[in-house]
Order: sequence, then C-alpha cells, then structure tokens
Amino acid sequence: MEMDRESGKLEQIVSQFRSKILHVILNSRIPSLHHHYQQQEPLSLARVRKSDKWFNLVLGDRAAALENLNFSLRNLLDPMIIDIILVHHSSCSSSLDNLYTPSAAVGSPSDETVIERWVVQYDCARVNATPSGADTSSSYKKTYKKSIILLRSLFAQMRLLPAYRIFRQLSSLSQTYNVDLVYKVSSFSHPFSREEEGAMKEYSFVPVEAFPGRLCVSVTYRTTLSDFNLEPLVSLPSNIITDYVGSPTTDPMRSFPSEKGFHATSFSIRGARPPSPSPFQRPHSWSSGFHKGLPLMQNQSLAGSPPAYRTSPKPYDVVSPQSDIYGNRIRNRLPTLQQATAYDEYQLSPPFSASASPSPPAYLSGANPVVAHHCSETAPVTIPFPLTGRNSFHLSLNSSDPSRHSLPPLSPRSSKHDASSQESPSGIRSYRKLEALRAGESPSGLSINYSAQKMVRDTKDDSGRFSGLLSSSGSPRIGFSRSSSRLSFQDDMDDCEFSCPFDVDDIDVSDSPASQNVEGKKALDFTAQSVPVGKKSQDAAVGMLVHMLRTAPPLRQDPSCYSTHSSKTVGYEGGVGTASGFFMPCKTADALEELKSYREMRDLLLSKSGTRVVRKEEM
Amino acid sequence: MNCEVCQLKELEVEHFEIREVLRCILHTIVFHRALGLVRPKDVDLELFEITYVQCGDVELEKKIDEKIDQFISWVEKHPNKKSQICLSFYEVKSKQPSWFTNKTERLYWEQWYANLNVTQQPKQHSSKSHLTKVVVDPGESANEERSSRRAMVEASLREVLFQIIKFVNEKKDHVPPISEGVIYFPYEITMPRFRVRNGHDQEDAPQRASNHAQLIIGLGKLIQLG
Repeated sequence: MEMDRESGKLEQIVSQFRSKILHVILNSRIPSLHHHYQQQEPLSLARVRKSDKWFNLVLGDRAAALENLNFSLRNLLDPMIIDIILVHHSSCSSSLDNLYTPSAAVGSPSDETVIERWVVQYDCARVNATPSGADTSSSYKKTYKKSIILLRSLFAQMRLLPAYRIFRQLSSLSQTYNVDLVYKVSSFSHPFSREEEGAMKEYSFVPVEAFPGRLCVSVTYRTTLSDFNLEPLVSLPSNIITDYVGSPTTDPMRSFPSEKGFHATSFSIRGARPPSPSPFQRPHSWSSGFHKGLPLMQNQSLAGSPPAYRTSPKPYDVVSPQSDIYGNRIRNRLPTLQQATAYDEYQLSPPFSASASPSPPAYLSGANPVVAHHCSETAPVTIPFPLTGRNSFHLSLNSSDPSRHSLPPLSPRSSKHDASSQESPSGIRSYRKLEALRAGESPSGLSINYSAQKMVRDTKDDSGRFSGLLSSSGSPRIGFSRSSSRLSFQDDMDDCEFSCPFDVDDIDVSDSPASQNVEGKKALDFTAQSVPVGKKSQDAAVGMLVHMLRTAPPLRQDPSCYSTHSSKTVGYEGGVGTASGFFMPCKTADALEELKSYREMRDLLLSKSGTRVVRKEEM
Repeated sequence: MNCEVCQLKELEVEHFEIREVLRCILHTIVFHRALGLVRPKDVDLELFEITYVQCGDVELEKKIDEKIDQFISWVEKHPNKKSQICLSFYEVKSKQPSWFTNKTERLYWEQWYANLNVTQQPKQHSSKSHLTKVVVDPGESANEERSSRRAMVEASLREVLFQIIKFVNEKKDHVPPISEGVIYFPYEITMPRFRVRNGHDQEDAPQRASNHAQLIIGLGKLIQLG
C-alpha cells in the first residue's frame, strides 16, 4: 500500500514534469503561445493556479493546444519529442501580391528546419525492480526537489540557446518576418541527416532519479542560426487611411456589376472569404492597414489558437501565428465595425477610420439591414429629392473626412441650385426630416430609404464608385451651396455630428450642361448635386443607373409618413414624383466629372500609401 | 554534508560592465537555488545580447544591488586588481550552547566565486547610478576594437552562465530539503579577497573552499560526532 502510494506520487511527478517541460519549452520558443502568456493578467504568487505550483514555477495559464497535446502524450513510458521548427517562407510568398492570392500563398514553398529537438523521456530500465523501503520513503521528495532544479536550469538554458534570439524577434508584434517558429510534439522523430547533425550540438541534462527509472532531458540544437536571415515583411501601416476613398481605387472603365456590389463589402466586413477569389481583391475603405492578409487570412484568422504543427506542415499551420496576428487585428476591428454599424446615426463612418472614408453606399446598403436602418435615418435629410435623399444617406456614411481636398468637388448641379436654395428650402425641410427620424418619429422613412438603397444596390459596384456618383449628386452639400441656408444647414449638420466627405466648400459654381436639363421648378427643388460630366465612355453606365433610378419603386411606402410630416415630406413627394425628371439632368456630366475626381483621389491615395492597388472583384 | 564550491571562469570586464555582469551571474545562481514558488522574470542585459532569469523577489534584487554597489566601491578604491565576489548558501544550525558562545551556526553547503578582472580605471560617477558608460574616442578602429572586445566579454559571460547550469545539474545531492514557505535558501554575498594582478596570490589559490568555509565544515563534523 505504501509502495503503491509512493509509486502513484512518482507517476504524478513524472506526468507533471513532462507537462511542465512542454510548457516551458513552447512558451520560450513559439511566439503565438508567448503572446497568449503575455496577454494574461500578471498573477501574484498568492493567486497562482494549481498547475503553476507544480515544481514551484509559475508559468501562467496553458494554451488549449498545450492541454490537448499533453493529453495525447499521456503514456509516460513513451518519449516526448518536441521539435522546434523554423519555417522560412520563400520570397515570393512574402510579397503583397501573393498575399492577395490565396491559391498562390497555399502553394508557396517554404523551407523547414528543425533548429531544436528536445527529448524528454522517463527511462524505466528497472521496471520490475522492487524498491526497498528506504528507497521509497523519501524518494519522491528527492525526485521532486531535483526535478525542480532541473526545470530551473532548463528554463535558464532556453534563454541562452541560439533559437531564443529568433524567438524574441518573432515575438515582436511590431514587425513580421519571413520566418516562423512552429513546433511538433510526438513520441517519435525522424533522425537527423548527417549534414544536419554536423550543424547541431547535443546537451543532456543530468538525469533525475525517479525510481524505478529516471527522468532524462536532452536537447539537440543548431549552434548557429545566422544562415536564416530574418527579413522583415513589408507590412502595411496599421493606421487608418483617413482620406481613403473606396471608389477611386476602382477602375473607372470597369462595368457595373449586376447584383453583388454590396455583398463583397459585407463579406469583407465580416471577415468571410471573398466570394470569388481573384488576383486583385480590392480592399475596402476600412480595411486599410491589414487588408494585406485579409483574403488569405480571413478563414484562418477565425481559426483557433496556434495549432500543433503536424508532420506535414500546411500553410495553415505555418501562417497560424501570423493569422493570429491578423486574427487579432480582425477581431479587434470587427467589433469596431459593428459598433460603427450600430452607431449613432450621424456617425456612419466605416470603422477604423478617424473620419469616415466615403465608401458608404456599399457599406451601408447591402451589408446589414440594421445598418441600412440606421443609415436610412439620415436619408430623410434629402427626402424631398430622392437622389438627394440617397446621396445624403450615403454621404452621412461618409462622415467627416478631413482630406476634403482629395474628394470630388461638388457638381455644378449643386452649385446651380444655390440661388434656388433660398426659394425652396428643401434642404431645410430635409434637415427637419432628419431630425424627425432621429427622434424616431418616422420609422417608415427608414424603410423607404432602405428600399431606395435596394434600388440603388443593383446598379452599384462594390467599389462605391457608383455610390460616389450618387453621393455626389445629392447631398446636404447642395444645401451648403445655397448662400443663405448653407451655413445654417452646415451648422445643423455639425450639431448632429453629421458630416460627409462631400460637404466641402469647394463648390463649383460654374454652370454645367447637365444642370440645364433640370425640369422647371423640380430642378429648383432638387437639392441633390449633379454629377459632373466625365468621359463619354461612362455615359452608358450612368445612363443605366439613371434608368434604374427612374424605374425604381417609390422610396416611401407608408403614406402616413407624409401626413405626419407633411411639411417635411412635401419636398420628398415632389422628389418622388419627379424622380425621373430629377435624375435626368444629372446623369452623364456629373457622373463623369465625379469619376474624374475619383481618379484623382485614387492617384492621391496611391501616392500616399504607396501600396499596390488591389481591386475587389465584383460580387 | 559537503560544501560544494564552484569557481567560475574569470571575466575581464571594464568598470562600467561590472554591474550588469554581476547582476547576471548572481541572479542566475540564486534562481537555481530559489526552489520555492517563484514567478520567473526575464531580464535583458543592456550591454550584451543575453537574457537571464530572476526569481522576481524584490528584496533579493535590492540586496544584490547593494552588494554590487559595495563591490564597485571597493574596485574603485583598488583599481586594476583582480577581484572576487562570493555567493554562499548556508543552513542555520543551532549550535550547542557553551559558555563561549550561544549563537546559531551557519553551515555552508555551497559557495560560488565570481572572478572579475577589472581592466580600466573607473570614471568619476555615482556608485548608485544604474549604468555608466565610458566615453571613448569615436574613432573607427576604436569602435571596432570595442565591438570585438564586447563580443568576447559576451561570449565569456555566456560561458559562465553555462558553467553555472552545468554545475547546478551535476551536483544536486548536497542541496538541503526545501522548507515550506521559503523561496530561496539563506545566502550571503561577500568579497573575501583579491588577487594581485601579477599573479601573486595574496592567499592560497582559490581551488578549494575558503578557509572560513572549511572551518565551518570542520566544526559541523565535530558537532555531528559529538
């Protein structure tokens, strides 16, 4: 009985010893596990866990992967072999291009080198030996004490081996490199080649007597790692490009998509895989800074903590630490995005930007009905004029953009109505509508706006370019262009924390041919801006858009809204009724002019960021 | 119980390197002898690319720093001399009361000697400063020489740390049992003697336990026999 108790304690010591060693080694070699450890709150010694008390060495909580590994290697008689593998990514796979090409990244070659091999074994040569009473009386105590000493020396030695320097470099979150440290734990291992053995050295710790066997720990390590040059990867700045405009990065010559213009955006927001992989995945306006790995990492970033490295390494395993990094970024950003979507309505800016980047239409319209719901609360600003409403709705998403100089200027359309603004205070009415919606008095307006967005959706591409067209064609900016109401409207907007990227003062007051086509007083009531004339090649696309807008169902479904807010809806009704006429004048010229401005913005952004423009394929 | 003695490899250091080198060595030794519950703390040296481990005890860190300050002060008064700092671990044994003394006895079971050869005159600086650096003429050749010298010191220090680990691993039987609630064994840090640069030892060659330790060991044996 006594012997059984002693042997039970000994077995427990051996088992815990293996777990502890595994914990020490991986914490000191695998950056992702080290991050997990660092993220834990520092524990005082008074609140250590039971696992930490083993061998009097507080290491913090074990990652789940370690627990699983420990469980799978519970046969104490089998050796526990821990390989620390340096994965060296080839140069092509580290380029930004291949990061946007999942297929290319999957197939990219990588060199793997075992730089350390730790062998922990309970050498039980005398299994059947019968210990004497004196041997067992305090043997487990001595074993435990010596195990503590061994662990201390192992802990210290891990910091002196060459691999520790690489581990520290890779653990730095400020930089990513072309190499990675992964591990493999198993009970067997492939022997090193002669060449590998020549570059390695072995150190064996003095075995600890653990009757009837002994605990043996040894390490074979590469004496020098200078052959593995750590090249920092070019990483996109993680700061938000505040003046990034989604649409300018889109090729203005591309055709409009049929239906999926918004879905791509929403998928990207949610971190889902892009629907159709393509060499060029256009980043979204709010993905600046980490979209480098987004197409590749999206699925992987949502995976769990670092996986155990298997015998056949997969890119998933290889990139898991990076995906953790990206995962952290994505996880950090998604809540922000959701916050932005469920925001206060006058702050509809894409997340991660100090000031909203103007790609709101795609973002709002298709991404989330809630988003649309909230966003639509701002739409009533331009309800009297359908295009205005939508544009203001979009513009509300493009809230304050400090780099207004990079934004497309107001269309002449907006300037045209400068004089008429005083006569038809639709902007003021629209603002009142905005207030009403803010107060939640006309929820039906939301649905109308949503339907308006739906109407627009089909004709919009994910780049937001089209939305940019719309947004520029109708906005409170029109109100700003009016001499008298401009300031007040702007003040009101400021009070509402509403700003849109197109609320710029650089209004082009010059007349444009498009503005000449406004029909009568409908044109006077039109608060939307007209899209400046662009290239002739855009005419067809714009015309298609206009046609769709003209044939779209009415924005407002609930006539009660009209009665409730009659003064506010007059303009809206007028806007609905004259939708077709409303859109007529602002189709080609304004749209093309805006496209031109988008191009300029794109060039500006490209020159600023210096990153490669990637485009998201149309959904 | 035997008193195990470990003479660490001699390090040739400059004055401003003393503090870092001694901190690294002493904390590494204590970490291996702090067998109570510890939360290890990695500390990166500033002068060398070496990371050592502390056991995270504030009092211990303070005491070690005090001793290092004393050592530096002593070195300043005795420049260009080889010096030693001794870290001893002992057990407190109650001595048989006699009409000579009634004190408790320290039974040393392990001694570590760190041998330093301070090669440069100390600059005028406060002994309490965290780290002082010697200002050198920024000539290119001087920088290269300095770098190579720094690399040599780093390699030597790394060897010393490996030596500590090796000694700790090879000799475990003499370590006393761990007391409940005690983080590290009782210890003391002394500066027993110094050796003259020209090789003439003022005292016997330090390849054995110090006379003081030998005396203690002898008395301990007598007590056991008694």
